[in-house]
Amino acid sequence: MKEIANDIGIENRKQTLSFSQIRRWPEFGVILAFLILFTFFSIFSSKFLTLRNFTGILTIVSELGIMAIGVAFLMIAGEFDLSVSSVYAFSGFLFVTLANKYNSPLAFVITLAIAAFIGFCNGVITLRAHIPSFIATLGMMLLLRGSLLAVTGGESVSYSSDTIMPAMLTRFIGHGFRPSHIWFLLLTLIFSIILTNTRYGNWVFATGGKKEVARAMGVNVNKVKVTNFMLSALMASLSGCIVISRFKLANASFGTGMELEAIASAVIGGTFLTGGYGTIIGVFFGAFLMGMMRTGLVMIGAPAYWYQAFVGAILIIAATINLKLRRLEM
Amino acid sequence: MQEVTSLAKMVNIDKNFRAVQALKKVNLEIRQGEILGLLGDNGAGKSTLIKILAGVFPPDRGEIFFEDERVNFSSPKDARARGIETVHQALSLVDVMSISRNFFLGREPTKKIGPIYLLDRKKMDGECERAVTGLGVRVRSPNEFVSILSGGERQAISIGRAMHFKVKLLILDEPLTALSVRETKEVLRQVEKARELGVSVIFITHNVYHVYPVAERFVMLDKGIKIGEVYKKDASPEDIIEIIATGKMPQALTS
Repeated sequence: MKEIANDIGIENRKQTLSFSQIRRWPEFGVILAFLILFTFFSIFSSKFLTLRNFTGILTIVSELGIMAIGVAFLMIAGEFDLSVSSVYAFSGFLFVTLANKYNSPLAFVITLAIAAFIGFCNGVITLRAHIPSFIATLGMMLLLRGSLLAVTGGESVSYSSDTIMPAMLTRFIGHGFRPSHIWFLLLTLIFSIILTNTRYGNWVFATGGKKEVARAMGVNVNKVKVTNFMLSALMASLSGCIVISRFKLANASFGTGMELEAIASAVIGGTFLTGGYGTIIGVFFGAFLMGMMRTGLVMIGAPAYWYQAFVGAILIIAATINLKLRRLEM
Repeated sequence: MQEVTSLAKMVNIDKNFRAVQALKKVNLEIRQGEILGLLGDNGAGKSTLIKILAGVFPPDRGEIFFEDERVNFSSPKDARARGIETVHQALSLVDVMSISRNFFLGREPTKKIGPIYLLDRKKMDGECERAVTGLGVRVRSPNEFVSILSGGERQAISIGRAMHFKVKLLILDEPLTALSVRETKEVLRQVEKARELGVSVIFITHNVYHVYPVAERFVMLDKGIKIGEVYKKDASPEDIIEIIATGKMPQALTS
């Protein structure tokens, strides 16, 4: 492979368009898997390929996907965030409580600010205590969830405030589409541009790829990591506010296990667990794949429980393929 | 020591790592446009010394002068801003990033589109491709990952990057370890080319034969102490090995 690369040389590289170039496209695997499953469900269920089903899937996908983008962005910088599901539930609860007391825009802003602070704590704990982020955020996840359950006693709180934020987040805007779909697309685009087309994105890659090199080249790796921890919590919080605006009800057990779905979306989308590599477009399709499987399996008549089994199988296959592609490429 | 302009000077540098004294009152001077060989066995304090010079950590005591000015680097970024750059085989490039992204890491060119600054990818790829080709490294594209490159190619790109950004003092930390004979020659040629362009080079190695062909002056360290300093005209490689092995300067060379 390398010998060939050297023989081709720079001058005529433009002529070597082939499978190898498509394969080097990092989202290739997940898009292929997406298309295969899409075709499969469309053939075996007559109701799958309808606008109504599509928007229904998109609603679930948006909520998972917004969280997954934050998780993946942090993962590329070389750290994990398991606390996102708890931040999600906590934010929903806080948002409803504050909105009922004051008004929804204020509640939204305060909720996001507190979530960012939780992310900041995750980052500082990980970096100052020198413990793996996996452990630090696992602790934060249990701490937040436990506190939430203890404080609420498992009781739900329903939303009874103005319609400003719900309208901006989840109210139907025609043909089954919701603003959350637009937010998801917009955030995918924004994060994708940040990652691939800004200086900060380059620092994120370098921090996750090899932080010693990044530091030696003048990148403030701790600042990058803390920023990404905050972004991860912010995205989870936004996702929590969206889901609560849709259900009009907050419960302390919301989103349990969702952190693993978000990580699975990122990995299926081609993000390295070890950091340093990944694409936001890949995560977009990763999250889509998960959401599509959830409804698709029900539609073709499989018991809902099969969803987890399928996610597990696809996760293993995706991780294996990604590793193989990486070997070929490097 | 007369009539020469000093580029960087380290005076009475002390550094402790907890109970271990890594450097004891070490003095080091690097002159304009010279290649200095910094020699010593493993654990002699070579890397600690240059890390202090490169701003990785501060000295406990002692002063650093750069271009006749007292400097206190608080990070490698500060040192780089002054034109001091370290090339370290394992710590210069990120494997899972493209060549051009590595080339401009920390110094990415941007272009303004509306209110936001985006990476100037075209400029990055173009300049990187020109610089890399000029170094004799043949790659398919600047978007290739660094992980496909050989040790020599990596070293060439790291040195080329420093030259591209107008480095004044180039610190090479064991640059020839694990390189083939041909690659070794290529790297040495680049080091000499850098000197011709007026760059000062500190060449760190434990193998005197690596640096003897190119350097004019040698400084030897042992257990954190500077044990000797000789000019090439005064000492053979064997003399230098003798100094490192015995830990002291022979009578004939002390003047």
